[in-house]
Amino acid sequence: MAINQHFFRKTIIAGSGLFLCVFLVVHLSANLILVLPAAIARGLYNSYSTVLRESLFIQIIAYLLYASILLHVIYALLITLKNRKAKPQKYALNHYKQNSTWTSQNMGFLGTMILLFIVVHLANFWARIKLGLGAPVGLDAAGYQDVYEITNSLFHNIYFVCFYTLMAIPLGFHLHHGFKSAFKTLGFYHKKGLRIIANVALWYALIIGIGFGIIPFIVYFK
Amino acid sequence: MKIIFKIWRQDSPAEEGMLKTYEVDDLTEDMSILEALDHLNELLVLRDEKVIAFEYDCREGICGQCGIFINGRAHGPHDQITTCQLHLRSFNDGDTVVIEPWRAASFPVLKDLIVDRSAFDRIIESGAYISSKTGSAPEANAILIAKEVSDTAMDAAACIGCGACVATCKNSSAALFTSAKINHLNSLPQGESEAHKRVIEMTSQMEAEGFGSCTFTGACEVECPESISIVNIAEMNARIIKAKIFG
Ligand code: HEM
Ligand code: SF4
Ligand code: FES
Repeated sequence: MAINQHFFRKTIIAGSGLFLCVFLVVHLSANLILVLPAAIARGLYNSYSTVLRESLFIQIIAYLLYASILLHVIYALLITLKNRKAKPQKYALNHYKQNSTWTSQNMGFLGTMILLFIVVHLANFWARIKLGLGAPVGLDAAGYQDVYEITNSLFHNIYFVCFYTLMAIPLGFHLHHGFKSAFKTLGFYHKKGLRIIANVALWYALIIGIGFGIIPFIVYFK
Repeated sequence: MKIIFKIWRQDSPAEEGMLKTYEVDDLTEDMSILEALDHLNELLVLRDEKVIAFEYDCREGICGQCGIFINGRAHGPHDQITTCQLHLRSFNDGDTVVIEPWRAASFPVLKDLIVDRSAFDRIIESGAYISSKTGSAPEANAILIAKEVSDTAMDAAACIGCGACVATCKNSSAALFTSAKINHLNSLPQGESEAHKRVIEMTSQMEAEGFGSCTFTGACEVECPESISIVNIAEMNARIIKAKIFG
């Protein structure tokens, strides 16, 4: 039986992409704690972060998350390379913006920006908290690891504030196309439903993009 | 009216091609772009130069032979028409018009503006048929088909195989063409007995021909002269899942 490699690869990209989309909602909601006044935010954020780290369920989800990112990136790279090979010669003149969005034409570039962000982001937090690399993490008054302090000090460095905020832009654009596209890849073909999904995708991308983009600034000026 | 054409010239698949400039006077805005090329070819004959090879048949938007890339768009600057439906009134006097053949690894250039689209034929051969008896015409009401179903099938059947979807797609994906052919037959009772086999065979052939995979840029449905909707591709994906489970 034929393997339908295109379909298989795109299904993995869409499935892992949508899983990451759900993760982003949870992640953004938790990070909203950071904009609360310092006195409340520190305790809440540190206890939340400790509960997550110690929960078996979350540990499993975390591995799913790592796997999703890896699968998404690897298969995205594979189809992007294959798709380039299918169009070896470009047009001398191509007004593709008249028939499609810039975003849909540049998902690989946008994804690479996000990957760059993920690497820096993991180095900032995950490597320090989970792997214990870099300066040791202090404890707060309740004896929890003071993850709040890590974010707080990071977001008082203007370079990191700008980096985190700028990188929310490619994320928003990637999500706007990706969210819509994933449903079609997975075989959802109800016309009216797809129009609703297109609207949801726009709002989703705006909320996630602006949400992640604005938190570092609020913390900086707090 | 005067147009400065920049046209892709290439003698054979093996040779390198290039854009060549031709200034053509005495055109009128009522001419179709193909008529302007005819006019240019007559001039080339008089000048003892090789004529420009391009394809056409019906010149009324129904055969799908005339596909070329004009000024950065498949079939020229308008949405959803064929090349033969494009007239010089869409351009201004003195404009430069760049004409290139379809670009896709699976559509190699044969000569000038003519590409080999037999990959489409092989996708059709792999499953876009029904193996039922074709004798004399059957009784029209022997198989009752709901209006919405026949509309869906007829909308998909409108595809004329021009190749604009592949040409405009950054991935050279043939998903719009293939999905139109699959959904045409698979939505009708006549196509049902081979439905699962058809979708797997045709999508596999599509991959074997070296077309890229669909990432839903949506460019194809804008350039398709038959307004085949991109939703057909989503439906094809659903049919692949069904075929994998039940086929
Ligand atoms: C938080 C991170 C990310 C999320 C939520 C996400 C989400 C998505 C979604 C939902 C899709 C649509 C799948 C489809 O079309 O069926 C997609 C496609 C894609 N993603 Fe991501 N993605 C993320 C990160 C990345 C990264 C790090 C890369 C690359 C290094 C990447 C590269 C791509 C590419 C190339 C596509 C295919 C694009 C296309 O349809 O043209 N993504 N992504
Ligand atoms: S789907 Fe449209 S653009 Fe593609 S071959 Fe058929 S008619 Fe041409
Ligand atoms: S020549 Fe037949 S569609 Fe243009």
